[in-house]
Amino acid sequence: MAQKTNYSLFRGARIRPYGERGYLLDHFRESKRFVIEQALSITPPDGFDEYVIGADNLLILFKRTVYECVLHEWLSGLHSEMLDSSKYARQIEVPVHYDGPDLATVAVATGLSEAEVVAIHSAPEYRVRMMGFAPGFPYLDGLDDRLHLERKASPRNRIEPGSVAIGGSHAGIYSVASPGGWHLLGRTDLPLFQPEKARGTVTDAREVFALAVGDIVNFLVI
Amino acid sequence: MPVIEIISTGVGLSVQDCGRPGWRRFGVPPGGVMDRSSAAAANRLLGNCADAPVLEVLMQGAKLRILEDTWIAVAGADLGCAIAPWTACAVSAGTVLQFPMNRSGLWAYVAVPGGFDVDRWFGSASVDSRNGLGRPLKRGVQLSAVTSAVTFEYERVGRRVLAAELQHDFSRPMEFELLPGPQFDSFSSQARAELVSSEWTVSSRSDRTGFRLEGPALNVPDSIRSEPVLPGSLQIPGNGQPIVTMVDGPTVGGYAKIAILREADVDWLAQCRPGTKIGFNLGS
Repeated sequence: MAQKTNYSLFRGARIRPYGERGYLLDHFRESKRFVIEQALSITPPDGFDEYVIGADNLLILFKRTVYECVLHEWLSGLHSEMLDSSKYARQIEVPVHYDGPDLATVAVATGLSEAEVVAIHSAPEYRVRMMGFAPGFPYLDGLDDRLHLERKASPRNRIEPGSVAIGGSHAGIYSVASPGGWHLLGRTDLPLFQPEKARGTVTDAREVFALAVGDIVNFLVI
Repeated sequence: MPVIEIISTGVGLSVQDCGRPGWRRFGVPPGGVMDRSSAAAANRLLGNCADAPVLEVLMQGAKLRILEDTWIAVAGADLGCAIAPWTACAVSAGTVLQFPMNRSGLWAYVAVPGGFDVDRWFGSASVDSRNGLGRPLKRGVQLSAVTSAVTFEYERVGRRVLAAELQHDFSRPMEFELLPGPQFDSFSSQARAELVSSEWTVSSRSDRTGFRLEGPALNVPDSIRSEPVLPGSLQIPGNGQPIVTMVDGPTVGGYAKIAILREADVDWLAQCRPGTKIGFNLGS
């Protein structure tokens, strides 16, 4: 069956090779990203291996070197009659103890009181834009402009999992013990990543990770 | 039946296979052996599939007791083991395999028939202790092999040697060919020229997540929004000194990436000891 192609869907999108097996795709509308993600999981291009989401782009990785025209051809075959991403998004409440070591310095840096920082941080509905840096670490969109701060000049050597943090234009939650340069506002007891549940093979990511890309996150003040 | 008991882990000892692809978008690094080529060679010597779980030995100090008559293959770094790298031989129960010194390379691979029979996390036997995946090895831990017999015909054969042209000499000077990275065009022409004209030294601050290189400070463009990072990428942080992402490195990052190594060269770089001088070219 001939499938109607719709070139306009990704008109202007840019494809650049990255490494021997990867292509970075960018300059497409954010609303189209879910179309690509969904198509990659249902009807991926020949030789597809996996994909990784960036803040402004998407890496498509193949199992072997694949000509760029294969990806062009696949993209041009995508159409927009795909399901709405919001149907898959879950609403997750994350309870937070706002007693982080950087609460006071963030208040000073932003000219707000600590109570205002907490109120502003816990007010929005966040959306998981991407995951990475560490397993299960969510980059959350929706942080109020007043809390956009440069990362700390000297990163901490160890940040405990569950630390609720802000960095640049994103909010996030540390998912494993790691070094890091974000400002720590509080902590949650919600486990973001449970490696012991990844034993064997994993068929459902939700058993291992509390969040997935697209999920809506609300912080609850405890 | 257990085939090997850990007497000492030395500088570093872990079970690895070819890693756990498929989970990068959740932030899980691909992981796996640092030098795929050498691990595959060790497996090949025993007729195993290339990604069968092996022991990855980092530098000197590890000691292993053989508990059953079996075959053992060793490949990669030369750590002074009685079984020379790139060979396999029959070993009798009670033998103690030692890795007392670091003659060349960093990582040696020890294979047993069929591979080590161990638990898997995300479908992979690779241990990533930073992320809580897999059990770190300790003194006294016993490991089993998948089979007790090798699959090739070994009657009247006591030893196998990998073809000489497939063996790697990690002590020879290396110049690696680079592919342009996603931010190649954002770097000044001076930085791009310095990257290929300079001699770089592998830093001692290198590990399974990244290898740091020391040399001239490259001019750094503005930082970028976080985006996917592949192993082999030359990330340039604020101090202008490249960090080459390795297999346990973060899946996304905000440093500009001037270039990326070919995958086979990531294997080779992983075997370059701190202090090794390396060079780069940008191909033709």
